[in-house]
Amino acid sequence: MRFFTPEWAETVRAAVDAGPPREDKLPEYWSWIDRARTAYTATWALGVRETGLYLVLAWKDGKCVDAAISGDPGSADYVLTAGFATWRELREGADPGQAVMYRRLRLERGNVLAFFRVIYFFVESLAALSRVPAEP
Amino acid sequence: MSKLSKVADSDLRGLGDLDIDDVLAYVHRDLKRLPDYTELYRRYLSQRWNVYDLDFSRDAVDWRERMSREERDAFVGISAGFHHGERQVEVELPVFMLGGSEESKIYMSSQIEDEARHTVFFDRFYREVVGLPGDSVQAVLDASFEHVSETFVGPFGLLAYQADELRKDPEEPAARVRYGTTYFLWIEGVLALTVMKITLTYCRERGFLPGYYTGFTATCRDEARHVQFGMRFLRDSVQEDPRLLLQIHETLRTLLAMNSATSRRLDLQSLGWTPEEVKRLMIRQLRMKLVDVGITLPPDIQDMVSGITPEIAGG
Repeated sequence: MRFFTPEWAETVRAAVDAGPPREDKLPEYWSWIDRARTAYTATWALGVRETGLYLVLAWKDGKCVDAAISGDPGSADYVLTAGFATWRELREGADPGQAVMYRRLRLERGNVLAFFRVIYFFVESLAALSRVPAEP
Repeated sequence: MSKLSKVADSDLRGLGDLDIDDVLAYVHRDLKRLPDYTELYRRYLSQRWNVYDLDFSRDAVDWRERMSREERDAFVGISAGFHHGERQVEVELPVFMLGGSEESKIYMSSQIEDEARHTVFFDRFYREVVGLPGDSVQAVLDASFEHVSETFVGPFGLLAYQADELRKDPEEPAARVRYGTTYFLWIEGVLALTVMKITLTYCRERGFLPGYYTGFTATCRDEARHVQFGMRFLRDSVQEDPRLLLQIHETLRTLLAMNSATSRRLDLQSLGWTPEEVKRLMIRQLRMKLVDVGITLPPDIQDMVSGITPEIAGG
């Protein structure tokens, strides 16, 4: 499966909707994420800087209901972009929390404070996305 | 010489003999008066210390032979946050310097240098005492990241994105106040001072890690200038435009919402601290800044403050 193709996008949608495995972290942490996710409705456009392509993930009432690859982020609430190198490092196991903390994904559009109120939900979604096998 | 004068005037060797409670009292002494930026810059020039003068040789022995595994794990778990924190503020502070008065910019140059020196302090501690591998500052940071808890990842990440927001217009008052709330009030005023109190009290009571104690006490004295600058900035901003208080509130809502997430448990009791004591310490640090600077909180944020997660470093 190739990175940033419709097939990969649909697999990612299912993976982020299911979330990552929960065995390694405290139950309280997942409770925080469940609270953040409940009723969460927003669209994320996650882009590759070099290609201008976006993975557009639509969340509705806490479910990831749609995924598409597009050359346009459209009306996404949050548009984030990263270079090939960052996406590759994430696929190879880089810590998604460190990637966020070091701003390796730039928030091109969206309210920073609102984005961070659910930040660990985003980090764990990034972890789930990164685990989907993909060829560059 | 009074205790607080001793804090103000000690050289690096003398700082190693001070009690952390006196240094914390020194941080708060001037919050009601809030010195101007030029006075803070003058203080920086007289209080600057050389991070390469620290001797970690006894620390390395303490770490290997005198501290228990539980103590080492807890110590790394809490101090790793500030290993990354110092790097984060060093890197994200220059954009704030682009705005404000000329006096603010001159002072800010000193704070950036402080933060770089603090980053070197932790780099040396993690290499020479903890023994983390790495050929570069980044490599050592990468090696310690696994110990950094969400208590730090969220606020440091928020600061990075707020810095990017500020880059678009470094003079924009609302963006400056949001950034200043995260940096000066929460990261410096609450997280840093709490970590200092926990780790330095442990070192002093057990007689361990004299190099760390001296360097982090010197860092704490530097924080006095940083917190006083930041509280003056926030106070003056709100006095100039009272609507900016809402920016402080919105930022605090985000910081406090993030605060309750923690994925790992860390045994701070091995360092002599109960969860309830840590919670009281954090709330006290926050309230002291807010009261002294005259920042009022609406009921929903007061409730969030009361619900601060007691375990600062990972549950």
